[in-house]
Amino acid sequence: MLFYALSRASFNRNLQYRASHLLHNVASALFGFIYLSIWTGIGETKDLGIYGLSGLVSYVALNQCLLWVTSFTSNGLGIPQLVRTGAIATELARPVHLFYQLMCREWGQIAYQAMYKSLPIYIVYLFAVPLRLPALPAAAASAAAVVCAAYLSICVHYLIGAAALWTTESSWFQWLNYAFSTLLSGFLIPIEWLPGWLGWISRWSFYPSLSYIPSRIYLGYDGIAAIYPSLIWSVVLTFACLAVTGFMRRRVEVQGG
Amino acid sequence: MNRAEWSRFMTMYRILIRSSFRSRMQYTFNFWVGTAAAAMINAVEFALLAVVLHRFGTIQGWSIAESGYLYAVITLSKAMYRSFASDVHHLEKYLVSGDLDGLLLRPAPVLLILMTQNFSPRFGETLLGASMLAISLGAIFEDDPAIWTAIPLTVLAIASGAVLMFGIGLLTASSGFWLTRIDALQVLTEDAARTAAQYPLTIYPGWLQGLLTGLIPVAFINYMPALYIIRGTHGAWTLGLSVAVSGAMLLLSLKLWKFGLSRYQSTGS
Amino acid sequence: MIEAIGLTKEFRVPDPDASAKRRGLFSRRSIPKQAVSDISFTIPEGEFAGFIGPNGAGKSTTIKMLSGILHPTQGEVRLGGINPHRKRKEAARTLGVLFGQRTQLWWDLPLRDSYDILAAMYGLTPERKKDRIEELENLLRLSDFMDTPVRKLSLGQRMRGDLAAAMLHEPSILILDEPTIGLDAASKRDIRSLLRDINERMRTTILLTTHDMDDIEQLCGRVLVISKGKLDYDGGIAQLRARIGLPAVMEVTFRQAESAAAAAGELQSLGDSATEAAGGLHGPEPLSPAAAGIRLKSLEDRTLVLECDLKTSSSVQVLRELEKYGELEDIRMREPEFEDVVHKLY
Repeated sequence: MLFYALSRASFNRNLQYRASHLLHNVASALFGFIYLSIWTGIGETKDLGIYGLSGLVSYVALNQCLLWVTSFTSNGLGIPQLVRTGAIATELARPVHLFYQLMCREWGQIAYQAMYKSLPIYIVYLFAVPLRLPALPAAAASAAAVVCAAYLSICVHYLIGAAALWTTESSWFQWLNYAFSTLLSGFLIPIEWLPGWLGWISRWSFYPSLSYIPSRIYLGYDGIAAIYPSLIWSVVLTFACLAVTGFMRRRVEVQGG
Repeated sequence: MNRAEWSRFMTMYRILIRSSFRSRMQYTFNFWVGTAAAAMINAVEFALLAVVLHRFGTIQGWSIAESGYLYAVITLSKAMYRSFASDVHHLEKYLVSGDLDGLLLRPAPVLLILMTQNFSPRFGETLLGASMLAISLGAIFEDDPAIWTAIPLTVLAIASGAVLMFGIGLLTASSGFWLTRIDALQVLTEDAARTAAQYPLTIYPGWLQGLLTGLIPVAFINYMPALYIIRGTHGAWTLGLSVAVSGAMLLLSLKLWKFGLSRYQSTGS
Repeated sequence: MIEAIGLTKEFRVPDPDASAKRRGLFSRRSIPKQAVSDISFTIPEGEFAGFIGPNGAGKSTTIKMLSGILHPTQGEVRLGGINPHRKRKEAARTLGVLFGQRTQLWWDLPLRDSYDILAAMYGLTPERKKDRIEELENLLRLSDFMDTPVRKLSLGQRMRGDLAAAMLHEPSILILDEPTIGLDAASKRDIRSLLRDINERMRTTILLTTHDMDDIEQLCGRVLVISKGKLDYDGGIAQLRARIGLPAVMEVTFRQAESAAAAAGELQSLGDSATEAAGGLHGPEPLSPAAAGIRLKSLEDRTLVLECDLKTSSSVQVLRELEKYGELEDIRMREPEFEDVVHKLY
């Protein structure tokens, strides 16, 4: 089946770099540690709401692990590269929809990163932070939220990558997305604590689905119902990706790739 | 290295800088958008802390203005280091492609030739750092005339910090003569260490503070000087010590570089 | 002048048998590998020498030692009397190097700026720099793209730009590593004539390494062949051909097609029995001496293309043999292809 074939190829391609990735994991774990230190720096004495210090450090540590699945998606799903080499025309002409193709490949990449990056770091955090273990229903629900978050990220990167057909500097959008994600996804600070206007923007965006929603479910602060915004955004962004592909096809026909 | 070599190097570098600017300015739109993007990316890491401090006031006794000062100093030090020694950081590229050989054919020290291969001005970071610095100092000192001594001392700290980052960077790059692939190591010694030093050091557990002072001494870039310059809790010796540590790191890294280069010349990579 | 005296280079490589060997207290992890063994030669001032060898023969190792990039395990190099391993920076002033596969120019900057930076690097006075750039601009026809960023230049243009960069500081020695690689035929001719010019006019000592034998044939008076780390041959091209003793190629045209066919048929069957004789223990009677050195390559209409081993039979003898089949109208002799000479060497 095509999905399996494409995703497996991605997965295997990454396997050869396992050793260097291990070293990157040490750095990644350290980054998470740095950010959660901000909360230990704030200290027990301050009112840390329903979370408490142990809840917050778990929250940040979990978000750091999840980054590898929900945020560190291939740049524009590789579309800028395809545009640069001109291969985009051939890829769009294939019998399989471009979005499906690239999505499958990305799932393979995500699976690899989940197994060889998120998982080792998660295990380290279980002991080092210590990161709380979830209750079983919460575990299942948060897993679903994580899958949803990964899918959203794929969609967003597809749209960012598509921009490469219209401008040579699509990396601006990459960086914009990174900045917004860092600030608005609730990576370090729960959404409800964001100052007024920032919180408002965040709530109306899809960014909380990337970190805030999955982590809240995991830690038991929210039930499965919290996943609804993520599901709605998934549908909306899927339509956006399909529509954009139409524009891309027209653009390629006019431009010649 | 003698005077003639230095003067030739300075002339070379001057021409390189002028030329790099000219060729970049040809694409003005890209240049300004790139600058804005870089400034934004760099601001985000501080915004994270700022949002927390907006709600909780201080962190380990450091206010948002003081934290901003720490952040600005290290951002400016990094901008200076990466502008002038861009290709030292990218040594791996030269080792893998064999382009380092071409540098060995020049009538000047290889390190200087390496530095003149590329000048990569970090405008966005510099603009952001300078603005943050101005705002922070303004907020910390308000109307206190002591601000006028703080400014030159800060400039000294930034310069010393740039040299320290250069030393750490050169030390890491030199290990490339043995390891070739140093990308992962650089993420640790440069990116992770720098990210940690962006925030007040006392938020970390003792062992990490020790690491950041004794092993990868990034604490001497901004934290130690700040104790004297803006907090006044410690004497001028913290600034003096920071400069000394930068010097020591520079000498150590130059030694390792020389050793690594001579190994490269006998084993051929 | 380039002097190589007893150049040897030994590398330590991981022992391929490491796992198979029994784990003793001192298990070998690395073994020495002789890349270059005792190579000596002198290239006098003004000479244009070629340096060839199969891949892995130690050619690039030798070039790296000659230019000062790599230190020899044993032996010495002198460039214009200076040892590049003891005095790297001083030796660098006498040497200009062109890497065909890489550029030494600044990629994002206009070509002109690369020369500005290099001029500062070598400490050229402003007047000398201006004169020199003008000279090179004219010689190498760079004027059209002096202000173009190097990344936008075609391969031929970039190669010329790199050549000028290598010569900017008036080195007495030029080392060229595959300077014609990837170029189209016209650009190759171009570069070759420029190099010839440089060698003749400025008396620059030039050492050229290449895989393109036309480069050697058209430019070099002397060729050094390296194989398995040792210098296999050091001398002129003509002598190289003679030493190999490859057969010359003859094209013989008969007056009438039937004569050509008959001659061809005879040679063919002789050739077959010769092969048999070579392979078998009991063969037919030995062949006539003249026919022994002739091999038929092809027959077209009235023309036979033959390979003749001139050590076995002279060309006159060959012609007398062929005349037996009919009247000859035209004869043409060709030297063996240099490619084949070299191929035979490797």
